Amino acid sequence: MIGIDHLSPRSVGGVTIAQCVALIAPLAVVATADPERFALNLVAALVAALVWEGIFATLRRRVLSFHGVTTAFIVAVVLPPEIAIWQIVFAVSLGVILGELVFGGRGFGFVQPAAVALSLLLISFPELQLRQSTTALAVATVPGAVLLLLMGLISWRVLVGAIIASAVLLALRGAEMEPVTVATAMAFALVFLVCDPISAAATPIGRWIYGALAGGLVIVFSPPGAPTAEAMVFAALMSGVFAPLIDHVVILIHARREMRRHA
Amino acid sequence: MKHFHIKRGEKATRQGAPKQDVIEEQGAVSVALLGSDMPGLRPKFEVEEGERVQAGQVLFRDRRHREVAYVSPISGNVATLSFGARRTLSACILTSDGEVAHSPRVVPVGADDGFAIREVLQGSGMWSAFRTRPFGRTPVPDARPEAVFVNACHASPLAPDPRIVLAGKEDVFARGLALLTKLTEGPVFLCQLPGAPLSKGDDRLEVASFSGTMAAGLSGTHIDRLRPVRAGMEVWSIGYQDVIAIGHLFETGLFMGDRVIAISGTGALPARLVRTSLGAKIAEVCQPEERACALAGDALTGRDAAYLGRFHSQITVPDGPVRQRKRFWQANRAAIPSALVPTGALDHALAPDILPVPLLRALSIGDSETAERLGCLALIEEDVAALSRHCTSGSRYDVLLRLVLDDLMADAA
Repeated sequence: MIGIDHLSPRSVGGVTIAQCVALIAPLAVVATADPERFALNLVAALVAALVWEGIFATLRRRVLSFHGVTTAFIVAVVLPPEIAIWQIVFAVSLGVILGELVFGGRGFGFVQPAAVALSLLLISFPELQLRQSTTALAVATVPGAVLLLLMGLISWRVLVGAIIASAVLLALRGAEMEPVTVATAMAFALVFLVCDPISAAATPIGRWIYGALAGGLVIVFSPPGAPTAEAMVFAALMSGVFAPLIDHVVILIHARREMRRHA
Repeated sequence: MKHFHIKRGEKATRQGAPKQDVIEEQGAVSVALLGSDMPGLRPKFEVEEGERVQAGQVLFRDRRHREVAYVSPISGNVATLSFGARRTLSACILTSDGEVAHSPRVVPVGADDGFAIREVLQGSGMWSAFRTRPFGRTPVPDARPEAVFVNACHASPLAPDPRIVLAGKEDVFARGLALLTKLTEGPVFLCQLPGAPLSKGDDRLEVASFSGTMAAGLSGTHIDRLRPVRAGMEVWSIGYQDVIAIGHLFETGLFMGDRVIAISGTGALPARLVRTSLGAKIAEVCQPEERACALAGDALTGRDAAYLGRFHSQITVPDGPVRQRKRFWQANRAAIPSALVPTGALDHALAPDILPVPLLRALSIGDSETAERLGCLALIEEDVAALSRHCTSGSRYDVLLRLVLDDLMADAA
């Protein structure tokens, strides 16, 4: 049987390539709406991300990398088509620099750079509306999600934790809502922003808690009705900030339990 | 017989497995005792370069514990004695003369009480067969382990099958096991693959079987499942061939200097079992075509070395030498250690109940306090080899773990 061990990438570059492959279908779906405008936005996001990565690599005399590509892809999918180019460049630059480059590059930070980019954009321009998820986008997310699951790059614990927490909170609210509508609204951001392996918690129990926190925050941040893309972005950022704390507590509990097991 | 199925760890491969029936005799002219197998040991030599030695003759003793001796596995001449950093041993290389001259028996064949057995093991070169947990070092002469773990579990089909090696030596093996029970007040665990038990067992000797991944063959896994190491406690592990050698020593009074190893892997011509000296020169044991890429040890922990190590039971011959290529965008730029991405593979790589990603983070920054809290004292290099292979950072966690363990050992002392 081919297991996770064989498919898991063994370099950070491999992780980036896998995530890019998973993002191709969502990109294609979004592109069909307005191909020219979308191509322009995508190129602007890519150039902004890669130029900053190149500048940082040169200043630090390090090997050039291309991890910003995933950030650019995610931002391009979520941004509304009518946004100005300079706003894209502004958002991607801030996201890439503050989300990962200041920490030393991909994998050394603790937040998802695309979530940083999008939330700073939303804070700076409150009138801006992100592209809301469609059924087509949600369906296109599924193959990528399966690929990433098989490669061990997203954790099923985070996914299930988020789904359970949002379902419970929705039920408590007593809102009448179709599960399909909620799933459609959450799919893309859940897979690519919340489940990102670098910003998510890294212990088994921690992943449950982290997923539940993210799923709960999405519902809390959403207006009554279906969850919005804006709520997803802020929920991903907030839960990413708390992930290291969750892991820390889980480690302490685990150590105490081990001590009792051995005593 | 207790049974444990190990799900986490590297999957075993059948490719390049030897035929487990015939054992070829393949002596080596050049053999070595390596400092890397006895880290920190400062030798006090009892022989000089060029001197003739017999099999079982003491070559050097531990400067701190004079009773612990290291002996020659062959009869021949001392070729080189070299020191490493801070007067530790680098290597002691011997050249065989092809004869079988044993140093006169020093062992009281009937030795029976624990104290006498210890003295014999220490004076005849068998003490270094034990490794302690925590830290994975040779035990100090008066240490009392809580338990002794005999590893007769070849989880990888590429390693020699204990049943073949034990064939015809069951009595010596049983004698060795009985002697081990005299070294500890606790139990002796014999860990093996499922099947007919290799020993009947009694109230002091428990037989347990392990199956599953390659991690089922690691003493660290056996200890974690049967008697986890807790603070202030010490257990010992020993390989089954060394138990045979102990039995042989007390049966005949002679040092057993040969071991059965497997030359396996997809590049082996053909994969086979050979009986050769401890520390044999790999180039002399292998075929000329195999030499270029032969590794001492298994595929996961194997190292490119000239001589077999003390604890190796495998020479792995992969298809061809692994070459690293530098691509154009890497020219003149430093490749810093890259980041650790917590992938699913890391969650499956470590068999003991330790959180892998926090452990790797603690190891990579040298945070020995956190690593200890996470349980790194239960591990030695071979246990974390699978993590190094799967981690995106490319770090050598075995090396990092040793640094942390050295740190903790210095604190404990």
